[in-house]
Amino acid sequence: MSIEPTGEATTTEVAVRAEGVWKVFNPGLANEVTALQEIDLTVTRGEFVSLIGPSGCGKSTLLRVIADLTHATQGAIQVAGMTAAQAREDQRYGMAFQQAALFDWRTVRRNVELPLELQGWSKDKRRVRAMELLEMVQLADFAEHRPWELSGGMQQRVAIARSLAVDPPLLLMDEPFGALDEMTRERMQNELLRIREETGKSIIFVTHSIPEAVYLSDRVVVMSARPGRITDVISVNLGQRNEDTREAEVFFESVTAVREALRGRTSGAVRSRVGEV
Amino acid sequence: MGQRLRSVWPPVLIAVVLLAAWQLLVVIQDIKPYLLPAPSLIASNFFSDVGLMWAAALYTGTTALLGLMFGTVLGILAALLAQRFVVVNNLVTPLAAGLAAVPIIALTPLLNNMFNITSRTPRVLVTVIIVFFPMFVNVTRGLIQVQPVQLELMRSMNARPRTVLRALRVPNAIPFFFTGLKIAAPLAVIAALVAEYFGGPQSGLGSRITSAAANTAYGRAWAYVVASIILGLLFYLTVLALERWTAPWTSRSHHN
Repeated sequence: MSIEPTGEATTTEVAVRAEGVWKVFNPGLANEVTALQEIDLTVTRGEFVSLIGPSGCGKSTLLRVIADLTHATQGAIQVAGMTAAQAREDQRYGMAFQQAALFDWRTVRRNVELPLELQGWSKDKRRVRAMELLEMVQLADFAEHRPWELSGGMQQRVAIARSLAVDPPLLLMDEPFGALDEMTRERMQNELLRIREETGKSIIFVTHSIPEAVYLSDRVVVMSARPGRITDVISVNLGQRNEDTREAEVFFESVTAVREALRGRTSGAVRSRVGEV
Repeated sequence: MGQRLRSVWPPVLIAVVLLAAWQLLVVIQDIKPYLLPAPSLIASNFFSDVGLMWAAALYTGTTALLGLMFGTVLGILAALLAQRFVVVNNLVTPLAAGLAAVPIIALTPLLNNMFNITSRTPRVLVTVIIVFFPMFVNVTRGLIQVQPVQLELMRSMNARPRTVLRALRVPNAIPFFFTGLKIAAPLAVIAALVAEYFGGPQSGLGSRITSAAANTAYGRAWAYVVASIILGLLFYLTVLALERWTAPWTSRSHHN
């Protein structure tokens, strides 16, 4: 497998770049925790990158640092050529969480409209855009329903539609399918790949599931805990995904490679060293 | 429709049976009215006095409504202020618990002296104070107890604190507001009524109950108690209807 030349990518091709990022909670105190240690990561435009690792490896923290929901203790974050704070203020990313975090007092459509409302879009334009997105996640028929009337998978699709509302170039997803059953989960994965194909978004995806990471990603970033750091980056080359992909030889090879990386072994076919990406 | 009917008739049946048993007990045992008047006596007093009763209920109801309105507004304003300050947040629950233990109704004679006893003012004030606490505590909780993930979502969408308040905290507090109001509304009626026991104008339900009891007109006293119960229920059911109408999601949604 060739090593992707992401290091030499020009600024316009870079969706996210993290350089020497540290995050230390409670610095100087007895309960000091190094959540992130010396993180270097470059995500190119249109790339799907998963962050995987045990609990406490800092994958969610890394996502939050990129989203400017929390600040890095040290190091630089670049999103779409700006600082993380500028990118958040300019709405250059959309975010989805494990909980759909829909507002019960709003209809499904008005939940999708929320980011547009905050951007000061007019009522009519908001409505048109929200319906367009609900069409895309195949929930147009449920536009006037309340969130609690929807299943977990449907709620998550609404959350994804909402994260796409302002048409940001980047999606940050924190275990968005973590609370779904296996069947729904696989359907949602296909749906996400389809949406990605239609929209060409760059996606950073945090997950606990090895098959999920492999199925979705161009690259799987393997992290380990205490301190949270990147131990491996594994390229996945599955080509066009379909239901057969999940049973293909290459799929299992990549799953094995990620699993071994998580265990800290150095063997494995599909592998590129950290320092080189 | 049939479902609703089926759920209504058992309590109605029980009420009828209990009233019949009560009536029977009073007649057979020849219980004196000052101990326990028969339901028939209370009913006849109720209907013979219905005009005066209406006026009395209107008076006490007005006191309760004024107190409820001012108390609610003050409670909301204080809650909006409290949610802005973390320190205040941590004080809210113990403070409110401590103040809830103060028998506010006991202040009535003092308020009667401080303000004009011949006016409605002291009674409204007692009601305001009593209404304030459940409203303040519940609305504050609603404003503060927002899902952390919803706060992160708002931040990811670059929402300013004022927007977070308007688009997230306030709507989140609405079910809590109604929880508070469901406690406060019947309390307001009780406060307005009991405040009348301490003197002042004799036109309310509370004054009527005391004067009837003092005149050994026990059937009449009980009839006014029944009217008071109806007034309290009316306040409670109005809040319930208001909740169904303005915030239909409060009773249906399931939070995790």
